[in-house]
Amino acid sequence: MNEQDQFEPKIIAYVCNWCTYLGADLAGTNRLQYPPNVRIVRLPCTGRIDFNLIIKAFEMRADAVLVSGCHPGDCHYTAGNYHARRRWMLFRSLLDILGIDMERIHFTWISAAEGRKWQQVVTEIVDKTRQLGPYEDYRNVCEALVC
Amino acid sequence: MLDQLRQTCRRLLEEGTVRVVIGYGQDAAGKPAYPIFVTRPEAVDRLVWNDQCFANLTTYLTRKEIRALGKPAIVVKGCDERTLVVLEKESQIERGDVHVIGIACSGVGDPRLPKCEACDVHMPRFADEVIGQVPDEPVGPDSRYADLQALLQKSPAERMAYWSKEFARCIRCYACRQVCPLCYCERCIVDKNRPTCIDTSATLKGNFSWNITRAFHLAARCVGCDECTRACPAGIDLRLLNLSLAKSAEENYEFRAGMDREAEPVLGSYALQDNEDFIR
Amino acid sequence: MNQIISQEALLAQINEWITRGARVIGPTRIKPDLIHYATLDSPEEILLDGFLRPANSIKDFLFPRHEKLCTYRFKGKQIELDDVELSDTEQLIIGARPCDAAALPILDHIFNWDYKDHYFNHRRQTTTIVTVACKAHDEHCFCTSVGLGPDAPGGSDVVLIELDDGGFEVRCVTEKGKALFADKTTPSDKSGTVPPGPEKKIDPKTIEDFVKNNFESPFWQEHTPRCLGCGICSYTCPTCHCFDIVDEGNAAGGVRVRNWDACQCTMFTAHASGHNPRTKQPQRQRQRVSHKFHIYPQKFGQILCTGCGNCARNCPVGLGVLSVLKAIGHAAEGDTSEAAHAEHL
Repeated sequence: MNEQDQFEPKIIAYVCNWCTYLGADLAGTNRLQYPPNVRIVRLPCTGRIDFNLIIKAFEMRADAVLVSGCHPGDCHYTAGNYHARRRWMLFRSLLDILGIDMERIHFTWISAAEGRKWQQVVTEIVDKTRQLGPYEDYRNVCEALVC
Repeated sequence: MLDQLRQTCRRLLEEGTVRVVIGYGQDAAGKPAYPIFVTRPEAVDRLVWNDQCFANLTTYLTRKEIRALGKPAIVVKGCDERTLVVLEKESQIERGDVHVIGIACSGVGDPRLPKCEACDVHMPRFADEVIGQVPDEPVGPDSRYADLQALLQKSPAERMAYWSKEFARCIRCYACRQVCPLCYCERCIVDKNRPTCIDTSATLKGNFSWNITRAFHLAARCVGCDECTRACPAGIDLRLLNLSLAKSAEENYEFRAGMDREAEPVLGSYALQDNEDFIR
Repeated sequence: MNQIISQEALLAQINEWITRGARVIGPTRIKPDLIHYATLDSPEEILLDGFLRPANSIKDFLFPRHEKLCTYRFKGKQIELDDVELSDTEQLIIGARPCDAAALPILDHIFNWDYKDHYFNHRRQTTTIVTVACKAHDEHCFCTSVGLGPDAPGGSDVVLIELDDGGFEVRCVTEKGKALFADKTTPSDKSGTVPPGPEKKIDPKTIEDFVKNNFESPFWQEHTPRCLGCGICSYTCPTCHCFDIVDEGNAAGGVRVRNWDACQCTMFTAHASGHNPRTKQPQRQRQRVSHKFHIYPQKFGQILCTGCGNCARNCPVGLGVLSVLKAIGHAAEGDTSEAAHAEHL
């Protein structure tokens, strides 16, 4: 019997409805195995993803966050992912200066046809996060008593 | 310079060009100057200009009670003037509805505030009236963002420890928001409930969430007037958050908020070839 | 015959209090130009002189900015409530100012007059207040105008008055104070001198009458347009005590908490119907002055202000309550000269 259960990371994935969600679905219909650690949150478009959702994921004890959508040029709403791309670039700088572990935040473009890419990306993120361990820093923030 | 300022304002009020002058007043030399709203030409002698004129007066241009006073003339330093550019771009003011009195400024505070050390807008650039003359020094990005170095040299865990210590003192007074000219939302996201997006509690969790949100809502909009940092009663160095976003905007999109009246706001636009190195 | 304690002995005593597990709170330097009351890890951190007063108040430790009231869990259609355990840790506030301590009897009354607030009362019981008398004042201080002074003992358990050699004359005011300093002091002929406080700057009766009779007056619009509506004045005020109760949780359960609230905030008087009787800043400023100098004195016979000046010193636009009170003084005299309009448009 193991002395302690192996740590299983919790990954939250914010994905766009038209590409990545269908890509994940394709992985499913093709019976491509990938770890069950990812919780998928479906949004209409990456342009809809408020950066607050990433913070909320960490507040909810996520160990890593994946944000994924349509490739540039393929956005169902034409330009949503272009705006998201800029937003993510700036948000990463803010997260970096705050000391948030940038290895726990991932951005990808995964199209509806890329079921295999979904499988690969999720598997790699789960493996990597398992190695990094639980995200203690943000949990300590959330549980800190300051007054 | 002070005489010129007062006479200009007297003229503007007497001619009826403006109904109110938003400027600085002061109780005694050496004390911090504070915002005053002069509607009578005789009262222009209350206006002062010196290195204690910290406030960014443009914050009053989006307030109902001040708008109700009528067309304003507003005294702006170079940093404050940048806010006018952003406000105009975001359709919060009509340029023609504000009479801009740009004042040449070599820096405020004694010792000078950090923002003044790296300032390249000592002279007003878009004003209707220009008071005074100060040589403008070009400043490169290295100087502009030099204050970030101390943080950038720390490891992520050390940075988190730093901000945890700072945000532990945040009392959620929202002075940072109230003093900021670009926080003009009628209902701030932090005041929203049903559902609540950001905890109102002054716990570390809530304070991280609030300060991250406010910083990011100002991404590529903040002009660096640093009023939030000056106003904070807990002594938190909020300007470092805004600086990091300004640096990212300049490095990635060659954009500095409020410098160019024609430039499109960073998050309101996009380019097909924007950097996506970090995206798999 | 007085009782005195040397500075070394006092610092050694602070060290002993910290070591025995008490939460010792005192003025400490946070940033080069910022001094706050904060929990001390060592006696070296305390500042006993060389500054006017901390930028916050001691209410932070009796009525904290965030406090859990109870926790709840949803079990089917039932809700299970659990009380929050209150800490029994001894709190010793060393180096409070008289204007901070004087707020405590006021807060005692507020938190007990119609409901016995056991959260506040518990902290109050476990806290001992050791005040240091003031040696200086600035233009924002006006404790003497509201019946207080640089060594006013109200609310304190012990008052320390600095001697020339850096030690302190120890005046125990309550039994709690006597117990804290029992056998720690030595008798002496020395006594600390307390300089006179600020000259009287306002008359509370004038303020009360003016506010009562000038609800609709344009005075408020004329004198407070620069107020930005943040919460700094209320949050750093020793007597302000408004709070908001919110639930933080999810579908499984959560915690009910109370957080500070400020009448200067836009949403303070927002009703569930959507109506807000105080939508403009001058109305909110009027409310603040009115509550402190008219409504509260009328109802409870005490002024809801100790003249500490925190509001003015911390205000980003230099407003605070004193400048408005002075303007009221001028207005009440019918003084419309230019000099009288010193603080407004």
